[in-house]
Amino acid sequence: MKEPPNQRKRQTAESLLEIMNIDRLVHSPARLSILTYLSVVEEGDAVYLLNQTGLTWGNLSANVTRLQEAGYIEVVKEFKDKKPHTVLKLTDRGRHAFYEYQNTMKGLLNTKSLSSASGGE
Amino acid sequence: MDNSDEKQIERRVFASFFQAGFIEAFTGIFLLQLGLPALFSRSGFGDLESALLALPIALILLVVVFIIRRLVVIPRLGHVKFLPERRRRLSKLVLVPILTLIAGAVVGYIFSENASLRYTFVGQIPFSLIPIIVFSAAAYFLDMKRLYVYGVIVGLTFPLGKYLETIIVSRNALPAIILFTAFVFLGMAIVFLVASLRKYQEPEV
Repeated sequence: MKEPPNQRKRQTAESLLEIMNIDRLVHSPARLSILTYLSVVEEGDAVYLLNQTGLTWGNLSANVTRLQEAGYIEVVKEFKDKKPHTVLKLTDRGRHAFYEYQNTMKGLLNTKSLSSASGGE
Repeated sequence: MDNSDEKQIERRVFASFFQAGFIEAFTGIFLLQLGLPALFSRSGFGDLESALLALPIALILLVVVFIIRRLVVIPRLGHVKFLPERRRRLSKLVLVPILTLIAGAVVGYIFSENASLRYTFVGQIPFSLIPIIVFSAAAYFLDMKRLYVYGVIVGLTFPLGKYLETIIVSRNALPAIILFTAFVFLGMAIVFLVASLRKYQEPEV
């Protein structure tokens, strides 16, 4: 059975509002990738992230700095075998932001597929 | 992205730390350690002498593998501390050598009771079961399905060697087939290592 047009419009408006509220810091592909790979380990170093995300050093560094400034990740710079070693860890705030982003996107995608299934735009 | 996606990513990340051929190298060394004493004892050395002759070869290879892992592979892969759930599962790997010891003791007891069994085709079945049990336990704790296949391959070498001994009437067929399998695993280890080194270049800071 088709939904009334007014209800469909309201759903679309709600979805748009949700899209506007998405955490743009997490939404960037590079940062989302960094957060994803940090979420599956307790901590990892820069080389690990470089390998897994496929980012360049410059890109990784710039995005890590933004995430660090937002308090989403913790960066510890230390020396290992007399070489600089950067260890990164997802903070509680970062983990919360990451999971919230996941849930929002999942909700949005479900709404979209529901409206497509009911013949909406 | 749901929980199953995250688990898959975590599994892929974990597996990437074992793609440089170390499991294959350890399997090859383990087989060398079984095949060389068998070959030496068939060449006239005593059981203890044969084991002592093979031991340094295995030790040298193990040291080489650890040095390559520490100095060449890990700097390219990076350092990671896995989640507590994964670490708990890894800590259970200690059960693998315990299982090996128990299985070895049981086989040793059976053969001490009936020494002639050692030279029969049926007598090779315990030798097959030990690697299958050990590799299956490692596959479960490391969450790596390919280890089940390795267990079956290693397990099959013993009855196959014994069978070849009976059909080609050669005393050296069993050690030869064990050593052949060992070299296949060592060859695989080298191929995986080279592929890993090509995939992960040393980072330029």
